[in-house]
Amino acid sequence: MKDYGHYIETPIPEDAYVVGAGQTLDLTFVVLPGESKDITVRVFLVGEGAQARLRGLYLCPDQEQVRFHLEMHHRAPGCTSDQLFKGIVGGTARAWFDGRIVVAPEAQQTEAYQSNHNILLTEGAKVETKPQLEIYADDVKCSHGATIGRLDEEEQFYMRSRGIPESEARVLQMISFISEVVAGIPDEKEREEVAARAEAAIRGMA
Amino acid sequence: MDRQEENKIIQDFTSKEYKEGFVTDVEQEYVPKGLNEEIIRMISARKQEPQWLLDFRLDAFRRWQRMPMPEWGHLDMPDIDFQDIIYYAAPKKVADRPKEIDPELAKTFEKLGIPLHEREALAGVVAVDAVFDSVSVATTFRKTLAEKGIIFCSFSEAVREHGDLVRKYLASVVPVGDNYFAALNSAVFSDGSFCYIPKGVRCPMELSSYFRINASGTGQFERTLIVADEGSYVSYMEGCTAPMRDENQLHAAVVEIVVEKDADVKYSTVQNWYPGDAQGRGGILNLVTKRGICKGSGSHLSWTQVETGSAITWKYPSTILKGDYSSSEFYSVAVTNNYQQADTGTKMIHLGRGTKSRIVSKGISAGHSQNSYRGLVQINPGATGARNHSQCDSLLIGSLCGAHTFPDIRNANPTAVVEHEATTSKISEDQLFYCNQRGIGPEDAVGLIVNGYAQEVLSMLPMEFAVEARKLLQVSLEGSVG
Repeated sequence: MKDYGHYIETPIPEDAYVVGAGQTLDLTFVVLPGESKDITVRVFLVGEGAQARLRGLYLCPDQEQVRFHLEMHHRAPGCTSDQLFKGIVGGTARAWFDGRIVVAPEAQQTEAYQSNHNILLTEGAKVETKPQLEIYADDVKCSHGATIGRLDEEEQFYMRSRGIPESEARVLQMISFISEVVAGIPDEKEREEVAARAEAAIRGMA
Repeated sequence: MDRQEENKIIQDFTSKEYKEGFVTDVEQEYVPKGLNEEIIRMISARKQEPQWLLDFRLDAFRRWQRMPMPEWGHLDMPDIDFQDIIYYAAPKKVADRPKEIDPELAKTFEKLGIPLHEREALAGVVAVDAVFDSVSVATTFRKTLAEKGIIFCSFSEAVREHGDLVRKYLASVVPVGDNYFAALNSAVFSDGSFCYIPKGVRCPMELSSYFRINASGTGQFERTLIVADEGSYVSYMEGCTAPMRDENQLHAAVVEIVVEKDADVKYSTVQNWYPGDAQGRGGILNLVTKRGICKGSGSHLSWTQVETGSAITWKYPSTILKGDYSSSEFYSVAVTNNYQQADTGTKMIHLGRGTKSRIVSKGISAGHSQNSYRGLVQINPGATGARNHSQCDSLLIGSLCGAHTFPDIRNANPTAVVEHEATTSKISEDQLFYCNQRGIGPEDAVGLIVNGYAQEVLSMLPMEFAVEARKLLQVSLEGSVG
């Protein structure tokens, strides 16, 4: 038996994304207002130097229930993964973010990053985030960050003192909040389309 | 440095012996092995407890019997045979206490460096309540404290002399049926410390309890209850050691802290239970429930812990922030080596307006160990303007250990701000090289780097503990350069 302590190598499920040596996986998830979604993504980096980039944004102004369940399994050396998910939640909507990075003992020289940032707009909205790291190799650089906050009042004050109405200021703040996700989309046409639809949705929310 | 060399140094470092591993030959008084209502009645009778406390124990025991063993921890927990444990062991000569301490016992405590005698007043202004197996053997500085109206005594004594206070606060923070091990503790707890700081009193010295498991085959189930009344302040320290034994010994403690309006409590722990040998045999199973409540507005509770011992640590010092504008911090360094496992962290439950909490956790794993941070930050709808920041870092030394982070962040208030960040990395080779180049050996370099890494937490410890903690870090990691 290999001496891996707690590490148990689970079988790769059929619906998983399996990324081989030198390959890159690039996925974008966009959840627009009115949609309740339960999204499960499992990625297995099994070849040396495999890469995965996952990004997502969710806009839930009403009573949507959006749940992300992400697993990033590093099973080969020298792989990198980067995940960025941002959400704006209002009304009585709920969002759950459940993200797990698992680095197997053989996956040395791993770089794995995960961020999940959320804005709460209303009293009735709720966000629960669980970014998890399970690391069994030592030569790794892994980090995750998660925040749940509000639109910054100082920024609003700054804009309003310059004649921008409050609702427009909020729209600008929300657009800038999600722009980091949009900017990461590699295909220009897709990027522009997502940006346009997200902006329209945000204007509808403010 | 190549990997082979690293591994060799790791091995030397991790093979360091446990220096507190001596056994004291003291005549012990036991209740028979096993756990049933008879045993609980026996413990209660031996301690001459009032009826209400016996009822409390029996109620807890009945609840415990219906509860399943928790399995959610990231731990390989050995099966615990609860019938194979002695639940009460006391040094004999109970009648003589507290006038005179058995010289053997006094020697034990001296070996551990605890100032039991009042002559030590000059050396360190620390009042100590030492718990040896199941009973509290001596409480120092009683008079000085009594002048201020501070009650600091063993739990049994508190039950006898301040029954109303104990009854009022017991299980008010950790309910009897809170979890499996809290219920077990409530049923069989043997002794512990009780501390009450009256209104507006600033405790003039650090209060400290020292726990040691000595007798073989016994478990230790102590109970600590700290009540800080309005506007008071106390700094409380807790230390633990145990002798080396091949078997796993059980330690299931409960700590409850009540912080009233504007009061301030600082609770520090240096946990150095026997961690088991290099092959993972023996060691203490440290399954502890610690929780405080910031009851009144403006109250403050700070937890600082340095966890280097135990085969398994399962411990989540938590704070319920009920009072408006109350605040709490959790500072933790957890070191695991060899086959140790730690699943530790905190819970911050924000109920009141403007409540603030901060979490700084530093995990260090070496050898074959597994080290997990598990935390919950919950902002309830009423916690307007609440604020939390959590930072959890893990350091890996050697390629066979694991470091894990399991935070859970829940926010239901749009005015609250919650932030969490975590990083995992290994000891930087550049830093090691820098030290080596300047003539600092690999071992000392690791000690230096780890101490620097944990500095933010260590600096929160009271001075007496900080020195010990620093040494402990070095010793626990001996042989683990990566």
